[in-house]
Amino acid sequence: MYTYNMFNDMIKLRTLFDDFFDTKPGYEASREFPPVQIHEGDDRIIIHALVPGIKTENIDIQLVDDNLVISGEKKDDYENHPYIRKERLFGEFKKTIRLPYRVKHDEIKADLANGVLTINLSKSEDAKPKKIEIN
Amino acid sequence: MMTETNSKNITENRKVFHTPLADIYSTEEIYSVKLEVPGVTKENLNVVIEDDELKISAESSIEESEKDLKYAEFSIKNFSRTFRVGNDVDRSKIDAKLDNGILTLILHKSEEVKPKKIAINQVN
Repeated sequence: MYTYNMFNDMIKLRTLFDDFFDTKPGYEASREFPPVQIHEGDDRIIIHALVPGIKTENIDIQLVDDNLVISGEKKDDYENHPYIRKERLFGEFKKTIRLPYRVKHDEIKADLANGVLTINLSKSEDAKPKKIEIN
Repeated sequence: MMTETNSKNITENRKVFHTPLADIYSTEEIYSVKLEVPGVTKENLNVVIEDDELKISAESSIEESEKDLKYAEFSIKNFSRTFRVGNDVDRSKIDAKLDNGILTLILHKSEEVKPKKIAINQVN
């Protein structure tokens, strides 16, 4: 049993438009490499960056003031054979992420697994709210 | 209001696939296919060859937690890509290697299409 609902068709059309504007090929090519995702909790920040095929020694992470700078080089792995298809991109990269608050310099943890770089940062003590005693 | 909730439900039900970027070269012996699949582990990767199609599909292992997500330039998507393969590929001999987000597939060419040296007999 099916009851025609005019709104269903309207939503379908809406989805079509949403898809057209929202569907992106995985990651936005216009952004600086590497594409990142930032999770921000009350006292910690987790950053995921997609860096497939890059070795740890070719990635450099620096903390400059309250900016996190990810730089490095993605070296090509081309072999000396005729290529049918070349879609992957290579080269040097540098990306600066402004952090929402100051972080502990000595508690930064970065892991690289399966081409995903995960950076864990925790909030610095002096960035936390402090209650001031009134005499 | 109504459309907001509706569109959210639709997005949740839809499976979105991302096409991994690929480099392909061929030699006299093999075809090499290199794909970028960041966040994929061996366990959730599937490579299937059926008829004339080579299908690579994978699920990303990054935990998708909408909680605390403040900014995203990529979304956790599953990967899927299909290539057509000709009769020159030996279906029973495909090697796959996954290393740091890069999947390398080596498709061996079948014996019939490999170059063969033809011996010339000296006839006087």
